[in-house]
Amino acid sequence: MSHFLLQLQELESFKEDAQIRIETLGHFCVWRNHQKVDNKEWARDKTIQLLQYFISNRKRNALHKEKIMDGLWEDWNDRDFKVALHGIHKVLEPERLSRTESEYIIRQGVSYQIDLEKVWIDVEALEKYIIIGNEAFVVDKSISKKAYKAAIDLYKGSYLPNRIFEDWTSEEREKTQLLILGAYITLAEILLEENPLESIRLAQNALAIDATWEDAYRIQMQAYILKGNRPQAIKTYMKCEVILEEEYGISPLPETKKLLKEIEEIQ
Amino acid sequence: MTKKQDQTASFMVRFNQRIFEEKGESQLQWRGKISHEQDGAEKRFSDFNDALLFMQQKLGELTEEATKHQTTEEQENIVQKSLSMWKTIKDFGPKVIRDTLKDPKKQFNHLQDEIQDKISLIGDEISEKVQIDQWRNASRSDFNKIQSQIESLSSEITKLSTKIDAIKKK
Repeated sequence: MSHFLLQLQELESFKEDAQIRIETLGHFCVWRNHQKVDNKEWARDKTIQLLQYFISNRKRNALHKEKIMDGLWEDWNDRDFKVALHGIHKVLEPERLSRTESEYIIRQGVSYQIDLEKVWIDVEALEKYIIIGNEAFVVDKSISKKAYKAAIDLYKGSYLPNRIFEDWTSEEREKTQLLILGAYITLAEILLEENPLESIRLAQNALAIDATWEDAYRIQMQAYILKGNRPQAIKTYMKCEVILEEEYGISPLPETKKLLKEIEEIQ
Repeated sequence: MTKKQDQTASFMVRFNQRIFEEKGESQLQWRGKISHEQDGAEKRFSDFNDALLFMQQKLGELTEEATKHQTTEEQENIVQKSLSMWKTIKDFGPKVIRDTLKDPKKQFNHLQDEIQDKISLIGDEISEKVQIDQWRNASRSDFNKIQSQIESLSSEITKLSTKIDAIKKK
């Protein structure tokens, strides 16, 4: 079995086996031992915020307690942090004995981080699928396809949508959005000849995230032509032209104009 | 007192580069999006000045909101100061970004030289005995002086850039 397929399989098994699974795309939800954690269990919003902060900063090294509190809350004291952290432990490990180390939140002195080896998080998995998709692209497009599809399946909406006004979430939101836009476009390109209708749908999803994403219009134009729908291909160009004018005050790229010319020349 | 969160504005800026051929020549186009995190407002731009205007507008609103309980005179004074800072950034900021985009290596070298100069300067200063009893707090006129120096520096840079462009054309 190829190295990439093995990686895909490992990712799938991790999702199935992980005792803690966290969904952050489109909504926030935690699964403990394959059961959804009830909202009431969280008790305080600060507990959820702290866990979400750990997730948003998961790539950085363990974060110092004071840095975490500074990033999260305006007026804070040690008690706030202790209570929130205790709340996380209580939800993730209700059976944990007091004075024992947490399995999921790694502590080094007064610095903390979430354990990515044990906790499955959708944004983390999405990024890994896209990496596999990108790396396999030049080697084996069928693996690329699988990986992009898996990433797209995970994307249920923007990152932590109920925290869009919190600046500590924006970096992750922006990053995920760009990753998924890339996945939609690349998969749509791979599928263009084989399944133009699916390409149109994927490009449409990209446009739902960013209506000015010109590559998506071009893919749709090509797909409509493959389906023999010339008027719709021209209509798509017009839409692209209008939106680029409205949003940026610019016209489509020469590549897109050239495509329109080719379409117009079709009898 | 105004809360810390009410005194903060965060912006996320996305730049999207487009390189294409037109009339046999390579062209580069930048498309951007700026979002204001606290209210979710967004603005797309192909000219960076539009992004700066967006930031200025959001920061202006922030200042206005934070000073709404002060007298009109005080409020105008503060807003004026806020605008004055923005005038400098608006004049100077796009050029720095433009130069960085145009020739990142050159701009990086330039910044590196400036940092090196500052380090040598600080080195010279700290090698001398610090007359701490002669220190005083910065006054408003000090700030005004710095402001005017930044403005004149910015204008000098613009003139210099025009000259360089003219030389290049020759």
